[in-house]
Amino acid sequence: MDIETVRKVARVARLKLTPDEEKEFARDLEEVLTYFSLLDEAPRVDTHDFNPVRVADVLREDDPARDVNAEKLRDSMDTYQDMVRGPRLS
Amino acid sequence: MSRFPCPDKLLKLNQRFKIFTELAEDLSFLQEYPPRTHFSAKDNLCAVGFQARAGSRILEGYRPPFDATAIWRMRQEGAALLGKTNMDEFGFGTFCTNSGYDIPRNPFDEERACGGSSGGAAAATSLLEGHVALGVSTGGSISCPASFCGVIGLTPTYGRISRHGLIDYANSLDKIGLLVRDPLALRKWLPVISGPDPKDPTSCVQPALVTSGRRVERVAVPKEATENLSSGVESQFARSLASLQEEHGILVEEVSMPSLRFALSAYYVLATSEASTNLARYCGMRFGVRNLDISQHFNDFFAETRSANFGTEAKRRILLGTYARMVGFRDRYYMKALAVRQLVIAEYKKMFQDFDLVLTPTMPFIAPHFAEIERMRPLEAYQADFLTVPPNLAGLPHLSLPCGYSDSMPVGMQLVAPHWEERLLLDIADRWTSKFKMRFPEVSA
Repeated sequence: MDIETVRKVARVARLKLTPDEEKEFARDLEEVLTYFSLLDEAPRVDTHDFNPVRVADVLREDDPARDVNAEKLRDSMDTYQDMVRGPRLS
Repeated sequence: MSRFPCPDKLLKLNQRFKIFTELAEDLSFLQEYPPRTHFSAKDNLCAVGFQARAGSRILEGYRPPFDATAIWRMRQEGAALLGKTNMDEFGFGTFCTNSGYDIPRNPFDEERACGGSSGGAAAATSLLEGHVALGVSTGGSISCPASFCGVIGLTPTYGRISRHGLIDYANSLDKIGLLVRDPLALRKWLPVISGPDPKDPTSCVQPALVTSGRRVERVAVPKEATENLSSGVESQFARSLASLQEEHGILVEEVSMPSLRFALSAYYVLATSEASTNLARYCGMRFGVRNLDISQHFNDFFAETRSANFGTEAKRRILLGTYARMVGFRDRYYMKALAVRQLVIAEYKKMFQDFDLVLTPTMPFIAPHFAEIERMRPLEAYQADFLTVPPNLAGLPHLSLPCGYSDSMPVGMQLVAPHWEERLLLDIADRWTSKFKMRFPEVSA
């Protein structure tokens, strides 16, 4: 994998890499992806599922409930007048 | 008298072996009579009164306001939570050397690793008589450290134990389980923590846990799993097969499971894909480390926090998983890996038509020295998981049992049962430990 691709993937993943990290990860990922290409040899299967066991849709009634103390959750974040503070969007 | 060390000795043991990332503030319950069961939880399980950092610097200071269901159920049953155990960051590791908070030492030899990622859990169980450790396995993180530290590690069927309160690594693979010294502890605590929980829909489809009524009679050993073993593991495993046949009257037969060779790639594609999305939530706002420089653009704000606080292996897996999900590669990697998982499940199911369990060694070698681990390339470390990954990929219940000693270090064997048939694992654990003499390190604090 070339450095340019590593940079692109890192941008998508919101990671800033040092030049040394870029080099290191390019080499690591190249090795791992070469190994993954073994998957090309696997026989085709028509079924796929996102879980290893069958998972039924379990829906609960849409009743209002409070499992967790909302104040506690709020207090673990940076807040201003009951609003959560975050970075600029533009 | 309690069989347990006094609080002072425990603190000293912890200084030496780096087992716990945090201990209960009040340890006086250790001196109560009659003694209560003391248990620990891997640091990716949320518990009131403790930080939950999952071995990651990015979660420094995160104090969840609730108990994970498994922890809540243990406490309801009277067990006392001793502390949170050390682990590879978010579960990313085979040796427990990727923690942001010290590296746990193997109780049998301090120059060797505990195994990952539930390394602290295995070490605690090995060092503390009567201890019950809650571990978590995504690709072998209970079996591997159980094998390296010489204890019993049970990973139940995917969905058997609610994942509510578990800090996700890979949702379709994560399973909470138990590390113990005595199979009786499995019989006592597995039913306590199992069962449907409305807070985790994947736990709500399970059939009831049955702990008796089936006996292990026939066991399959895939020949693909007995290649590339160290000589010590190979000979101890061969002796164990002989013992199963001669002392326990179990039929052992060699079989072929050709799809196993695809399991490792499929696992790493799925695990890193899911991890890369799960870890998106750690960005300096909601949990743990807080970035206060809100004058930055959000891209820089997020990237700065993440880059400074994720460890190298976490970054590597985030990059790998992000790449595998990108347009143009999704079909080649992610979708193919999902299909391979079905292939592996089908092959196990075929085996279970004729056999009760599938048996392999747990790890291809004994616990390595730290110096050896440092020399390993990332791919080599991933490949060390080739025996523990298949049942994890397939969501099948499995058990690592100590089965011998090589260079005075424990060797483990891994038994895999059909979905929901944990009782076969309980049966073999009882029978095997009735004849096999387990060793525990005698260490002074």
